[in-house]
Amino acid sequence: MSGEKSRSRVLQATKKIGELILEYFAKASEAKAQGKPIAWVTVFTPVELLRSLDIYPVAPEHFGAMCSARNFILEYFKEAERKGYSQNLCSYSRCGLGYALSGMTGLMPPPDILITFRNSCNVYVKWWQSLHMHLGTPLFVGEAPYVLTQEDLDNYVLDYVVKQLMRLIELAEEKFKLKFDEERLIEAVKLSDKASELWLEALKLRKYKPCPFGGRDSASDIFPLVVMQGTKEAVVFYEELLREVKEKVGKGEGVIENEKYRLLFDGIWLWYAFDMIRYFEDKGAVFVYEPYSEAWAYRLDPSKPLESIARKILSMGLNVDIDLRIERFLKNIKEFDIDGAVLFSNRSCKSWSAPQLVTAEVIGSEFNIPYLIFEADMADPRQYAEAQIKNRIDAFLEVLRER
Amino acid sequence: MNSMYTGVDAGASATKVVIIDEAENIISYAIVPSGVNFKASFENALKNALGKLNIDIKDIVYTVSTGYGRELIDANAVFSEITCISRGIRKLYPSVRTIIDVGGQDSKAIRVDENGRVLDFVMNDKCAAGTGRFLEVMANLLGKPIGELSTLHFKSSNPVKISSTCTVFAESEVVSYISRGCKIEDVIAGLHNAIAERIFAMASRIGFEKEVAFTGGVAKNLGFVEALSKRIGLTPILPKEPQIICALGAALLAKKQFKEHLRV
Repeated sequence: MSGEKSRSRVLQATKKIGELILEYFAKASEAKAQGKPIAWVTVFTPVELLRSLDIYPVAPEHFGAMCSARNFILEYFKEAERKGYSQNLCSYSRCGLGYALSGMTGLMPPPDILITFRNSCNVYVKWWQSLHMHLGTPLFVGEAPYVLTQEDLDNYVLDYVVKQLMRLIELAEEKFKLKFDEERLIEAVKLSDKASELWLEALKLRKYKPCPFGGRDSASDIFPLVVMQGTKEAVVFYEELLREVKEKVGKGEGVIENEKYRLLFDGIWLWYAFDMIRYFEDKGAVFVYEPYSEAWAYRLDPSKPLESIARKILSMGLNVDIDLRIERFLKNIKEFDIDGAVLFSNRSCKSWSAPQLVTAEVIGSEFNIPYLIFEADMADPRQYAEAQIKNRIDAFLEVLRER
Repeated sequence: MNSMYTGVDAGASATKVVIIDEAENIISYAIVPSGVNFKASFENALKNALGKLNIDIKDIVYTVSTGYGRELIDANAVFSEITCISRGIRKLYPSVRTIIDVGGQDSKAIRVDENGRVLDFVMNDKCAAGTGRFLEVMANLLGKPIGELSTLHFKSSNPVKISSTCTVFAESEVVSYISRGCKIEDVIAGLHNAIAERIFAMASRIGFEKEVAFTGGVAKNLGFVEALSKRIGLTPILPKEPQIICALGAALLAKKQFKEHLRV
């Protein structure tokens, strides 16, 4: 036990994330001061394209996660709720709206354009339209049809999304007097692709026993893929991370010394409750695979920059058919040698949570592994019943132990 | 010296202590309100249980705790209620495959195999509807002691329909029924039906393989037991003292743990 305490469970790379985030926001404020346009984007929007146009993207969803993790989200919730937004709405949207309504004096500079694609989430469009109404900022809404089959994507919808990206370019050129430069886009696409490649390789190394990094790392380390795609800094971050992970695999060093159970975590993380991950680890259970961590990486083809960005927008995990999602689950349960699944039913994210039960039942019948579904919210700590959730975790781990 | 083993279930509303002997007989038990200090409630319950006997506290060689206050009690080991309830039931009724436990703050359904091993379980979401707390709030609202709900239930001939699953909204429904002149017994039967419906929906996910046992403090309310049995459509096994099954399981685990420690 004493050795356990002296050794950090968290990667060195992860310890740098906080600084990277603050730098990212500092640069956003600098850009604003220099008169460069700031875009508020929902995630899985064409960040690479914005970067090539010299528009600085920030993501209120990421901002919400950060405010929750740093324990100052309540002031924005309260602002939104005072204005009449219901507590039943998505907590990211409540935070983003509360921030907008409270004068935007925090880390995230006010937007010059609002950009969203309706791909993963039905709230996006309404949320962005509400921001547009409150702030009067120009709005771009892209539409990405739900992908039922790969054939549909290739033959019908890809071109439609590419055209919308071109429309976004025109809008940006006209509004901000910018000139689109394809070479810059290709460069951003190359960097974005490289960061994804490195992260996917690191994730694969979690197949090793003991697992070289756990949920606490993967939760934080996705950040550069959320809004920093297409930057050199993101690539450098993942290069360092991969080097460290390979080193740990080489030394046979795991997250914890005695890895008893390898778990899958389904859902967005509970940003204010990272100690829940530690609670599992204290009992010998390590998260080795999360669809969420994988979702951020997408390989792009620099020879077809707009087309591959369109594919990325369309293929986002929540925008594809449930069968494709389950298929991915099953493949990875086998490959990562998973003993049990933990599914977080997220009050804020209905599109993620709704198919969890059928997914869990397929997992149970195909692999006969136990699963736990618990309910809370990703960013709102007021909806987290710690004692009740720990009660369920304990029971779940005892079921694993009895097997 | 006779070795004794203690199980303590520090629940959200009551603390239960069971003491068993080497032959796994229950030699004493006690149930006290939990209050806000689990440690004090445990000591109080243990004193009550010991007071009925002529044994010394030193004869207790191992204690297992479970329930919400499990970490706050000075015990040798800690187990979840799911495991404890399963062990308690297996000891008394080995033919049981499904257990429905309704406690103060949680309701649970547990599926066990022939060895009492937990195969699957499901618990209520974090809202109080479908738990003992719901009935406590309603009994308080109606000005009736919780122990009288059952007697009143059996006097009902025309139960009202409570449609809200939220405790706060159900409260206003109850107020409106009473002010419209509905009989109190019909309201109580309606409340029992509402929580039976909620628990039925929750437990349906794991099914109702026979035999089915009801445990937990709320299973002492025979009116509720009737409502739930009707809803599921079966006759359950009902332990004589359903509230101590979890603590009994903890005591059995205490004995098992103690023997395993000796072996090492």
